[in-house]
Order: sequence, then C-alpha cells, then structure tokens
Amino acid sequence: MQDTIQDTMPGVNDSSSMQNSILTKKLKWLVMHFKKEWQIYLMLAPTVIWFIVFLYKPMYGLQIAFKDYSIFKGITESPWVGLEHFYTLFENDQFIRAIKNTVMISGASLIFGFPVPIILALMFNEILNPKFKRTAQTIVYLPHFISAVIIAGIVITAFAPSTGVINLMLNAFGYDSVYFLIKPEWFRTIFVGTGIWQEAGFGSIVFLAAVSGVNPSLYESAVVDGATRFQMMYKITLPCILPTILIMLIIRIGNILEVGFEMIIMLYQPATYQTADVISTFIYRQGLQAAQYDMAAAAGLFNAVIAFLLVITANTISKRVSNTSLW
Amino acid sequence: MSTVKLKNLVKRYGDVTVVHGIDLEVKSKEFVVLVGPSGCGKSTTLRMLAGLEEISGGEVSISDRVINDVAPKDRDIAMVFQNYALYPHLSVAENIAFGLRIRKVPKDEIKTIVADVAKVLELTPLLDRRPADLSGGQRQRVAMGRAIVRHPKVFLFDEPLSNLDAKLRTQMRAEIKQLHKRLGVTSIYVTHDQIEAMTLADRIVVMSDGRIEQVGTPMELFNTPKNTFVATFIGSPPMNLIEATAEVTDEGCYALFDGQRCLIPTLKELTHRDEIIFGIRPEYIEIEPSEGATEINVKIDLVETLGSEALLHCKFLGKQFVIKVETHGKVNNLENLSKLYFRQNAITVFDKTTTNAMMVN
Repeated sequence: MQDTIQDTMPGVNDSSSMQNSILTKKLKWLVMHFKKEWQIYLMLAPTVIWFIVFLYKPMYGLQIAFKDYSIFKGITESPWVGLEHFYTLFENDQFIRAIKNTVMISGASLIFGFPVPIILALMFNEILNPKFKRTAQTIVYLPHFISAVIIAGIVITAFAPSTGVINLMLNAFGYDSVYFLIKPEWFRTIFVGTGIWQEAGFGSIVFLAAVSGVNPSLYESAVVDGATRFQMMYKITLPCILPTILIMLIIRIGNILEVGFEMIIMLYQPATYQTADVISTFIYRQGLQAAQYDMAAAAGLFNAVIAFLLVITANTISKRVSNTSLW
Repeated sequence: MSTVKLKNLVKRYGDVTVVHGIDLEVKSKEFVVLVGPSGCGKSTTLRMLAGLEEISGGEVSISDRVINDVAPKDRDIAMVFQNYALYPHLSVAENIAFGLRIRKVPKDEIKTIVADVAKVLELTPLLDRRPADLSGGQRQRVAMGRAIVRHPKVFLFDEPLSNLDAKLRTQMRAEIKQLHKRLGVTSIYVTHDQIEAMTLADRIVVMSDGRIEQVGTPMELFNTPKNTFVATFIGSPPMNLIEATAEVTDEGCYALFDGQRCLIPTLKELTHRDEIIFGIRPEYIEIEPSEGATEINVKIDLVETLGSEALLHCKFLGKQFVIKVETHGKVNNLENLSKLYFRQNAITVFDKTTTNAMMVN
C-alpha cells in the first residue's frame, strides 16, 4: 500500500526528505549557536528557571479553581466542579468588596501616584547644582530600599494616636488626635500616600533615563528660539518621553489589581477591612487561613484574567493613539 | 547692517583655554566659514556667538551692539544644528513655526509665514509629515526653514551638512549658497570640511588650537597660505612640502634638496643657507618640461583615477608626494612618468622655524 501511494505520489518522499534535511540543518544551526553563545544563555538561565519554577509550573495547579480540591486527593484526583467556585465568589459580599477596594486603591495609586515620578524626574532634570541633585535623588530613592515591614512600622509610628508625629502636629495646631489606622475612611489615603512616598523616587529613575536621552540640541535650539525652561519642559521634554510614559502606564494598568499585599496585611485590621481588604488579602485569608485553596485559586485566576485583559486593552489603545506599545 | 564683531574672544573651561583671544569682523551680508580640525574651537566660538556658551573674555557684538550678556533669544540670530534639532513629535509645519509660536506671533501670520518659507525651501508637500518620515536632505531643509522663518540678522550654521552623504551634501551646499544669495543675511558657518568652506565662503577663517591662522577669500588661502598649517589644510590633496636649504645668488634664489637645485621665487627676507620648507600644490606640478622649470626625478607608486583628473602618488625625499594631473579621459602611461617639473611662480616658501610663509619681493 505504502509503495502504491509513493508510486502514484512521487512528491511525498521528496518533501519528507526535504523536511528532514531542513530540520537537520536547523538543529545543526541551533547546536552551533549554543556553542558560540553559551555564555549569554548561561546568564539568561536564572531568570528562565525562576519563571518556570515560580510562574509556569504553578499554572498546573490553576485547575483546582475548577475542582473541589482536597489536599488528601491531590490535584488530579479531586473532582471537577466547573465554575462553582466562581459563582460562590461572586455571591460573596467580601469578594465583591475586595474587588471594589482593589480597584479604588489601585485607581487612586494610578491617578495620584503615576504622575509623581514623572514630575520628580522633570524636577531633577532642572536642578543645575550636581551636589544638590545627588542629595535630593538619594533622599527620594531611599524609601524604596527599606523593607515593607520597616515602612509599615514607620507609618504605624507616625500615625500613632498619642506619640505619632502627625497627631502631635495636629495637637500643636489645636486639633484632637485622630486614630487614623483604625478609621476606614483614612486607610486608602494613608496606603496610597505611603506607596507614593516609598516608590515615587525610585520610579523616577526610568523617566530620568528617558529625559537624559532627549537630544540636548533640541533644548539649545529652543533657547535660541526664546523658549523658557517651563516651555522647554512641556513642549520638548514631556512629548519626548511620552513613549516611555505610555509603556510604564501600560505596565501599571496591567498591575492594577495587584495591590501591595504585604503592606496591606501589615497596616489593615478588622476595623478597616471595609476599605482595606483587597483581592490579594482576600485570597490570603481564604487560601491560607481558611484553607479553601480552590476558592482562593479561583479568585487568583479571576485576578490574573482581568489583569491580562487590561494590559491587552491598554496596549491596543496606546498602539492606536500614539504608536507606542509593548509588543 | 548686520555686522558681527569678535574682539579678543576667549573661552576657558577651568584652567584650560580653548579659544585664545579671537578677533574677527564679519561684514553685513557676508558668508564667513570657520574651518579647522576637530577641537580647534570653531564650534565653541559659534556657540559663544549664539549665547549657548558663556564668554570667558572679550566682546561679541552684532550690529555694533555688545551682546555678551544678552539672552540668546534677544540676539536676533538663528542657528542650524549639526543634527538638525527637529522636534520629533511635531510636524514639519509645527517645527518651522516653533520659534514663532514661542514668540506668540498671531496664528494667521504664522500660517502665512510658514507657507512662504515652505515654498522657498520646496517643503510644501511635506508640511504635515513628522521628521522621522523625512530624508536627511529634507530634514536639513526643515532645520533651515526654522532658522529663516524668524528673519534673523545673523544665521549661524554648526556643521549642518556633516550628517548627509556625499551626494546630498553637494546638493545641499548649493542650496545653502543660493539661499544666502536670495536672503542676503550675514551668515557664519562652521565646518571641518575644507571643500564646503571653499565652495560656500565669501571669506574663510582657518582655525587651529583655538587661534585664527588666516582669514581670507578661498582663493587667497589657496594661493597664498600664511603658514604650512593653512597650506596643508586648504586644498585637496594638500600642498606638498619639501625641506630644503636656501641658496641666494645674483641670478635668483634656489632651494637645495637631495643634490638638486630648484629655482624659487626671489624673497627679500631669505638669506643664504637658510633652512626653508618649499611648498607646491599638486595642481601646479607639471609633467611636461617648460622653460625655467626645475626637473626632478621620481618613481610613481600609485595612480588614482578620478575621471577628468588623476592623482599620482610617489615618494619624494622619504615623504608622500601627490601630483594632480588632468587626464582628458586618458590615463595611459601615467605610472611610467619619471620626471616632474616645478615652475618658479608655483612655489611657496616657508620659514622652517616659524612655518610662516615668506613674502615675495
């Protein structure tokens, strides 16, 4: 039969042998390439391994979001339950509250926190005295390198009702002390403010790098044309760093549902759950404290899918509007 | 009247002086080119004139007004930069209009001026494009448009053609020259390319190590260079220089080298046995004997054919020696040449110690 087919279709043999030779050629090229560039791949390996172990391998476990997971039965043996966990989640007021809080905290961080590093970078760019510039940069970069635990400690101390610097200042102006950290209406402000203080300086490095990439003769030309420093800032610097701003914005939108988990855990308490409980803390409580791993996985998966859709949308809009995109 | 005067202009960076007291006067409507090798201070001088560099000493004046402490925008100058300095996020029209918008010129007026300038520079079909969508030559024209749109008293050009390929450079050179003729604005142009300097300038200022070596018309610099630096910097290929000893006799002056005796111009400052350098341009060396010409023996190593001309390379007294000859379309037997002829009036004599040219009687 084989012979008959080959007899009637002489091209079959030729094309398969051609494919084999192309495959062999590609394999040979790959081996040669690895031999030549192995140092680069060696340097890349830790990142690839990290991604595989901590991001790709756990994806296998995502299936428990659709299963009635039991640690005794394991992932594969646990029975499928379809979208049951998702229905349960959306019937849970706490989860809806967590989504709302996440969006509000992230939205506030984005609206108030995103422009701050850009403004800082523009301001650093205008500082002419190198010593002052270095000092100012060090001061604003520093909080980034302090661990979240210490930052939380500083915040708790600063807002302490009797000895905290904020309340002492309020007292000095004749106001009563405020128990900031147990008042739900203050939580988001304190959290967003802390985040800006901690990360704005470090975040400005990317924009500062973009600013330093602007062709200096553009400024010289503008000086000859009579532009003021402020005009140069908004007519030259800002438009020139716009692609970087957009890329950072897309990345930030992708992370909009990823509110700093550690900081919330350290700053919130049942009294402020109303405004402080976010998706990640909800997942933590469901998954680790209540041992409802399947429910937590469903919440996590929902979070990831929404983030993915947001990145795609932001990227598409940016590509259409400004020709700048991640891919 | 837009004259530019530089009086004892100095630029220092800390202890290092890069411009050592330059004196120069540029007449109204004149096209002056500052030329010199990299690091000679020509761009720094231009930038001091533009107000982009602080002046360490001396005085700069435009139309007899000292502008040392005047802001760049108030100097009534326009500058074209080496890399065009076009705003990448603005269209051609917006780029041209930038300076006018900064000066709050009414929108209708801006529109009319931009349209006029675009017409002059043949940019009308490109007005809506971004700089990234333009060729090098078009970008250069936009940069020029930005400069001329303000009708300044003085144009400053900082190596504006150095980013273009050779063909486009030649084309743009001609366009700049025509534009200058049409607008008649005093222009100061910086370049390291002596061909650009020769073709564009009314007068050339040759600079070296932060000092002016010579100021003159292109032909003055070519025919009567003040020193060996100018002689070798201006002209392509550069002037051939030969070290020799002077012999002054009643019949005339001679240069003695390698057992040969070459008749040179009679120079009053020349004394017998003086150490001299005598120079002859590659174009002025002859391959046919003529009356009074000195004959020298050479062996041609290489013939470079340029079409209507050819460059003959040979070693003479251990140094590279170049001869430029007209080929009239034929290059036969040029490599077999063994004799060259120096005519007396084609020779320039320099003092070996000072390297300055000696004056002809």
